[in-house]
Amino acid sequence: MEKRLIKKDALAGIAKKMAEEFLVWAPVKKEDNVLFEPLQKDDEPFFAYLNSKNAPKNVFFPHTEALMKFTRTEKGMVFSSDENKADSSVLFGVRPCDAHSFALLDKLFDQEKYQDAYYVTKRQNTTVISMACVQPPYATCFCTSVDGAPVASEGVDILLTDIGGDYLVELITPKGEKLAKYFGDAKADAAAETKKNEIAAKAAEAIKSKIPAHEVKPILDKNFDNPFWNTIHGKCLACGTCTYMCPTCHCFDISDEVKGDDGVRIRSWDSCMFPMFTKETSGHNPRVSQKERWRQRTMHKFKYYVDNFNAIACVGCGRCVMSCPVNIDIRKVVEDISKL
Amino acid sequence: MQNPYIPYPVVVDKIITEVDTKDIKTFRFKFVNPEDEAKYAYIPGQFGELSIYGKGESPIGIASSPTQKGYVEFTVQKAGVVTQALHEMEEGTMMGLRGPLGNSWPLEFLEGKNIVIVGGGFAFTTLRSLINYMIFGDNRKRFGNITVIYGARNPGLLLYKDELIEWQKRDDLNINVTVDKGDADWKGREGFVPAVCKDVAPSKENAVAVICGPPVMIRFTLPVFFDLGFSKENIITSLEMRMKCGIGKCGRCNVGSKYVCKDGPVFSLAELDKLTPEY
Repeated sequence: MEKRLIKKDALAGIAKKMAEEFLVWAPVKKEDNVLFEPLQKDDEPFFAYLNSKNAPKNVFFPHTEALMKFTRTEKGMVFSSDENKADSSVLFGVRPCDAHSFALLDKLFDQEKYQDAYYVTKRQNTTVISMACVQPPYATCFCTSVDGAPVASEGVDILLTDIGGDYLVELITPKGEKLAKYFGDAKADAAAETKKNEIAAKAAEAIKSKIPAHEVKPILDKNFDNPFWNTIHGKCLACGTCTYMCPTCHCFDISDEVKGDDGVRIRSWDSCMFPMFTKETSGHNPRVSQKERWRQRTMHKFKYYVDNFNAIACVGCGRCVMSCPVNIDIRKVVEDISKL
Repeated sequence: MQNPYIPYPVVVDKIITEVDTKDIKTFRFKFVNPEDEAKYAYIPGQFGELSIYGKGESPIGIASSPTQKGYVEFTVQKAGVVTQALHEMEEGTMMGLRGPLGNSWPLEFLEGKNIVIVGGGFAFTTLRSLINYMIFGDNRKRFGNITVIYGARNPGLLLYKDELIEWQKRDDLNINVTVDKGDADWKGREGFVPAVCKDVAPSKENAVAVICGPPVMIRFTLPVFFDLGFSKENIITSLEMRMKCGIGKCGRCNVGSKYVCKDGPVFSLAELDKLTPEY
């Protein structure tokens, strides 16, 4: 693997230089929030951020996207165009937990049978540059409990680690190597490598919040009907914020919109927290109350995804913990399950 | 990369009103591009997403058999936004069709066995596909005795009336059609499906029961088959759930770890026992 060193203050310049050639998604300060946005000509990327308010999954799986267009003819509405397209782009500076989420989403969207063309095209055309968490940003971070780490390369093409005055630049994948020219020609020495490993160990140790994420799988296997499921949802507002903020939540709706003779079929994020999500035309709803919906969300992340893909569908970013308006904490839910 | 969200263009070739209440119709589609028919190679028990641009999509079981060449049929009850729009369509209209989706009736497992088919009401559609597949030409030799028990609330609600008459003429099929309540012209059986199953009492020897119907029918029919000695491995059914993508991505039709759209809709009772009872 090719490793280089760049000066810390060179980073914003590199992102801007890339933005002259590709679409670059970078952290940008928007009022009090930091969000990943396409870097515009006069935008200043903001790399001194903790983590972005929203998960950057929208780069590959937009909140709303057109699947196809159709148009009115004498024969009725007919298909007119496939809207699957993606420009060559760079996602610059995501945290390792969010990069980990891409590797998890790949398992679902990039299966051999029924490959999801829209997600896969964007994923293939995008290089992921990650900024390691030298100092874990929040008390609610628990990546080390869910197969992640503050300095990690799962789902990452280029990893940047702040080792003091410089960033260590690791060009991890062939896709990452293609952007080598942007990162100067200062080769990293063994000392930089040692420094990075020390920082990685220290950062991992600094993650104090731990959950028994692996331990609950065999318990969930046996406790679908446990009365415990009555205890989580009482205060849940069914707002769906947890699922919208979540880097791994991927449920979606498909709907049609028509204006004049032109129409578009779009997909947009949906949420297992919503009553309508599973309601059938007959009126029957297999997940009849918020209790079943919370069980679904928990089971999906810590059991079903493990059954299907041998991976926990949580990256420990803590966004759902921080943004739940009624303070439902997935860490406590998992902790409680481990005691069943 | 094949894009699984893009429907094949089809044209509504024929519409058959199946029932007196006129709210169940069979739609026969022809592919606009003839080469798409081969791409749409399906097995009885699979379903398709009927796609009406501007309205959306609806997952419906395939009612024709792959032995019927040149078209594909779906029997649809008028219920929601998409199916209402479909019911208002005229022959010759173009629309879209995705699929075939889901697993299928387990044909290899059924081969060489005696087959008992139990259907109730509108859920008979993919069973009709299976029957027409099994009795087509040399296919018939691959299966043992075929017993069909099919019920509707009244004679006017029976689907595929012409085919039922044709099937009853064959000596290699045991067809039992019943209605909950007959009318002045009805000369056939009266009685609920579970009672008829008890009466017909198919043998469990080398037999598989394929059962599809409304929940209330299933609930009272299963004990009859357990009493007859059928094991849960040898009772097969098909589930319905709300669906969107049909390919195991959109996340709403799962029962436990399995997606009804991708891993189902066909399951044996033994398989269902391993899943969570959330459907």
